[in-house]
Amino acid sequence: MSRDDPQWVTAVASALDAAVPGSVELGALSYVERLLDAFEHEPPRIWAAPGAWDGPGGVVGEPAMAWLELGPWERQAWQQRLVGWRAAYDRVAASTPTDEDLRLVHEHACEATYGDPAYGGNRSGGGWRRIGFPEPLHPPVRGVSP
Amino acid sequence: MTTADCDVVIIGSGPGGATAAEVLCDAGWSVVVLEKGRNHLIDLDAPHEPLRHFANDELAAHRRHLLGPDPLLEPRTYRRTEPDGDRLMVREVNNLPSTVGGGGVHADAKLPRFREEDFRLRSERGPLEGASVEDWPITYDDLEPHYSAVEQLFGVAGEDGANPFAAPRSAPYPLPPGDDMPMALVTSAAAERAGLHPYRAPTGVNSVAADGRPACTDCGFCGGYGCPVQAKNDPIAALQRALRTGRCELRPESYATELVLDGSGRCATGVRYLDLTEHPDPTTREVRARHAVVLAAGAFETPRFLLRQGLGGDLVGRYLTYHHQTFTIGVFPAECFPDGTGGERGRSVTHLHDDLVVDSAEMRRAASAVGLGWMRGGVVEHGAGPMPIEEAITYGAGGHHLASMRDSALRRRMWVFTMQGEDLPQVANRVDLDPSVRDVWGFPAGRVTYAPHRHELAASDHAAPLHEAIMRDAGAELAFSATSPPRGKLDLHAAANPLGIAPASRHVMGTTRMGTDPARSVVSPEQRLWDVDNVVVCDSSVFVTSSGYNPTLTLAALAHRAATLLVGSR
Repeated sequence: MSRDDPQWVTAVASALDAAVPGSVELGALSYVERLLDAFEHEPPRIWAAPGAWDGPGGVVGEPAMAWLELGPWERQAWQQRLVGWRAAYDRVAASTPTDEDLRLVHEHACEATYGDPAYGGNRSGGGWRRIGFPEPLHPPVRGVSP
Repeated sequence: MTTADCDVVIIGSGPGGATAAEVLCDAGWSVVVLEKGRNHLIDLDAPHEPLRHFANDELAAHRRHLLGPDPLLEPRTYRRTEPDGDRLMVREVNNLPSTVGGGGVHADAKLPRFREEDFRLRSERGPLEGASVEDWPITYDDLEPHYSAVEQLFGVAGEDGANPFAAPRSAPYPLPPGDDMPMALVTSAAAERAGLHPYRAPTGVNSVAADGRPACTDCGFCGGYGCPVQAKNDPIAALQRALRTGRCELRPESYATELVLDGSGRCATGVRYLDLTEHPDPTTREVRARHAVVLAAGAFETPRFLLRQGLGGDLVGRYLTYHHQTFTIGVFPAECFPDGTGGERGRSVTHLHDDLVVDSAEMRRAASAVGLGWMRGGVVEHGAGPMPIEEAITYGAGGHHLASMRDSALRRRMWVFTMQGEDLPQVANRVDLDPSVRDVWGFPAGRVTYAPHRHELAASDHAAPLHEAIMRDAGAELAFSATSPPRGKLDLHAAANPLGIAPASRHVMGTTRMGTDPARSVVSPEQRLWDVDNVVVCDSSVFVTSSGYNPTLTLAALAHRAATLLVGSR
């Protein structure tokens, strides 16, 4: 089953929502797809540049400066890591996940729900709002949290 | 300066290497600093302003290895003792950042000094069976001027006279203390009611604008993060000053692989390194040093570097120490947090207490009760809990997740005492080379063999109920304690413990011990390798004992002293 297959999308979304209920509504599926396809963008979508997301109603930046450059060895490591993760999600989609695969899904669901929206999840900061976490500003400003 | 011609090559750009670079350049010497990691800190071109790659981004900093090292490229291995076999696990072990600025980038920069006794532990307290308790070959008085110098260099913010146990000072702190975390005032008041003496932590973070950088914004993303506004002074202040002399060249992505020795084998003439800007076949380059090589790669990588060449003698890597960490977690009703934001504001830690480090009737009683001659705990940090992603992962998957996050017992309603307990040196605890695991460049991975002495466990057992009672007095509805490394059967921790089975401490010390006897130490009191005497070690690997205090200021003071002695020797 490939990622173009609607069943892949349905199965992965179901696993993400089972791990962290509500995560898909907040963009967890797009978070995972953006991560697995990180190298389809230059620089790869691994480290968001400071200020890449500028708050609710703002625009998720896509120009080159919105992502930090990886060094050549970091590229190698991330390409290797993503090969393993793609295989893990394929097993999830095929209903044959290992325990390690399910831990990965859980970790990614958490990252997607509570990470910076620049990475494709936590839509409009909704994950932070639902737990009352004050939205990080860039740059941080004294007296304004956090 | 040509690419292969300088007075000193420095391996590592963290607090030790950066401090040495500043001293040497200030004295008119030229240096080349080799840093294995990438540069996210400082513009290599004049006027060497901060690069501003950092944000309050938990994903980049804590989940995606922005500060390095990536464990896929540089795995480390761990076992408790030799009977565990070659290793128990392959992954991150005590990783400090591998990036320009080293450990100074991620630390929240608590910079206490050691006390007089820390340098004379065998004389003051005596030996303990199974541990190698020794005096340092230098005293607090020897180091005091260098403590003052690096406090000025790093712009340490602190409160003179606040800590009744502090060693004498020749100069005041250069900056006033920063803002208090509101909850730290609550737990400090409870600690005082228990007869303890909390005080404002000396911190290498601007409390006011200084040295061309702004004051801390108290954003809360401090420990584990590069500072978005560069309010942390360690180590950018030292690197910036060195670079601005025009006599310092900083080479990121340069992996030092080998000391180049002269025909006698007792004098280093340079360093070979891999140029990691090239992939997949990095060129080996060489930089030649006129006078010396400074080894400041940290207490894990420094012995690994020496062991690869068989330099430094049989004790290289041995007497590895951490701080045995005892975490006492208080879970409070939300209304107990005076500012309504949990621990999310401020730096990561603003208050400490030292009472369990110093000699006291209570500590003597506790030691006697378990058959120890003496007992020392460590400095205790009053601090906040984790950020949301880490908290979310802790709760595990399932339908309870949102309710747990909203209740937030392990973040918003959480406050933590972390005791950085003195860890006694033991000859079996060490860093060596793993027999089969290698890094991506083909070099043997570093392996930790480590188990705590029963002193550490006893000190932890003494501290935990005391701190739990203080948490409850402060208003906690639940208080409990845990340690790193964990107690009990490892299989219970391997999958579930968020800190893992290896020591989680980033305070790594003692692997190229200093001393006066070449048979019992690796470096001299001037921090020179006994067998290659123009190689000077400027990191926490030279520590003789671990003390119970955060190591950065002391390792920087030692680097300052060693570099000053090096300049004076020519």
